[in-house]
Amino acid sequence: MLVTLDPRDERPLYLQIVDQVRRALLEGTLRAEDPLPSVRELAGELVVNPRTVSQAYRELESEGVIYVRRGQGTFVAPSIHPDRRERRALVRGVAERAVLDARRNGLDVDELVTMIWEVAAEEGEGSPSTSAAARGGAEGAA
Amino acid sequence: MIHGDTAIGEYAVATHGLSKRYGRESALEQVDLRVPDGAVYVLVGVNGAGKSTLFKVLMNLERPDAGSAEVFGLDTGRDGPEVRAQVGYVPERQDAPYRSMTCARLIEHAAAYYPDWDHAYADHLVRALAVRPERRVGGLSKGETRRLQLVLALAYRPSLLLLDEPTDGLDPVVRRRALALLAEHLADAPTTVLIATHHIQELESLADHVGVLRSGRLVAQMPREELQRAVRSYQLEVPAGWEVPRELEATALRRSSAGRVVQCTLVGDERELTRRLAAAGARVREVSTLALEDAALAFLPEDPS
Repeated sequence: MLVTLDPRDERPLYLQIVDQVRRALLEGTLRAEDPLPSVRELAGELVVNPRTVSQAYRELESEGVIYVRRGQGTFVAPSIHPDRRERRALVRGVAERAVLDARRNGLDVDELVTMIWEVAAEEGEGSPSTSAAARGGAEGAA
Repeated sequence: MIHGDTAIGEYAVATHGLSKRYGRESALEQVDLRVPDGAVYVLVGVNGAGKSTLFKVLMNLERPDAGSAEVFGLDTGRDGPEVRAQVGYVPERQDAPYRSMTCARLIEHAAAYYPDWDHAYADHLVRALAVRPERRVGGLSKGETRRLQLVLALAYRPSLLLLDEPTDGLDPVVRRRALALLAEHLADAPTTVLIATHHIQELESLADHVGVLRSGRLVAQMPREELQRAVRSYQLEVPAGWEVPRELEATALRRSSAGRVVQCTLVGDERELTRRLAAAGARVREVSTLALEDAALAFLPEDPS
């Protein structure tokens, strides 16, 4: 299944679909020129309003991620570079949610960033050397 | 009533000051329902809130005591047959007249009545909902009756679907299949859907408009995003003995407190409410959005009175 929705996620459903398509591109489960399910298929599969799926597809189309071949369906754009724009858009979404959550809890962003490194280290995600590299990379990109 | 700023445009269903009494009981009171063309409008309310009565008035099965109702601009009382020809209706309770017919015979009967009947689609629905054509209508279980009603309501692709508790009596698997069929149905043809339910959760991702009926009154009506934007849960840190200020009383739907923390559900703009709460001595610790069901249920009293 290409897309699954999380009922606890408070973002609009169409944005959840947009993000899941972006994620599928990053993971390589969707590649250039791959077909996407039709609006009807995805609406039936997820039991969502077809307008929600159309809205998600329109958004992805306006970003140049997918395109419509008349009479044939919707496809991933041929010149997609998921490593750049898509990755950035996905990270941005995660960051926005984290910052919003932090503000609501009366925390400032520096506290949040420090704690993200701490938590990641505890979960063994970033050994100090790779964290430093990633941190350098992130600063370089910013 | 708390209502959204839906632009005045085409309404598939509009009622004007609709009222209906049964003896001394008021079933509908001054209801101004507005269902935009193409919407999936979910009408929520506890049993006896007036949902079924409203549908019966729209189908001209009941006469209102006051007010009027229009479906696609047609008066439901004056133009009953024309209205009914455009509406697929799944009633809460099945009437008895066709009890001796088999399901197959009843489907043929309906096909002959509606010029736009889609035979291939009807066959597809019969299979997808596992309706057994040879069974007699009178011997069907509640769930089987519902499935047959859904076939009868959908197969001629009416412009408006009036679904009164459409998944009542269906097991969870069939429930999901029925809702998936509805989603596909909407993708195939522009259709307005008005659904009365007390299971709003299962319709969470299909609904785009929500109305809340409480003791015959429409107490809220707005687009879904607007409802979720307007109704939020606030966690407040307050001084001892603090009460919700009188000026905010009308917007406070639910509240509970533990020590110096008060949790309340408020209606309105988040920034404005936060500012007013601060002015009244309460610090907003956290604001959270509610699931559609919780946002809608916030308008209903916890103990039905």
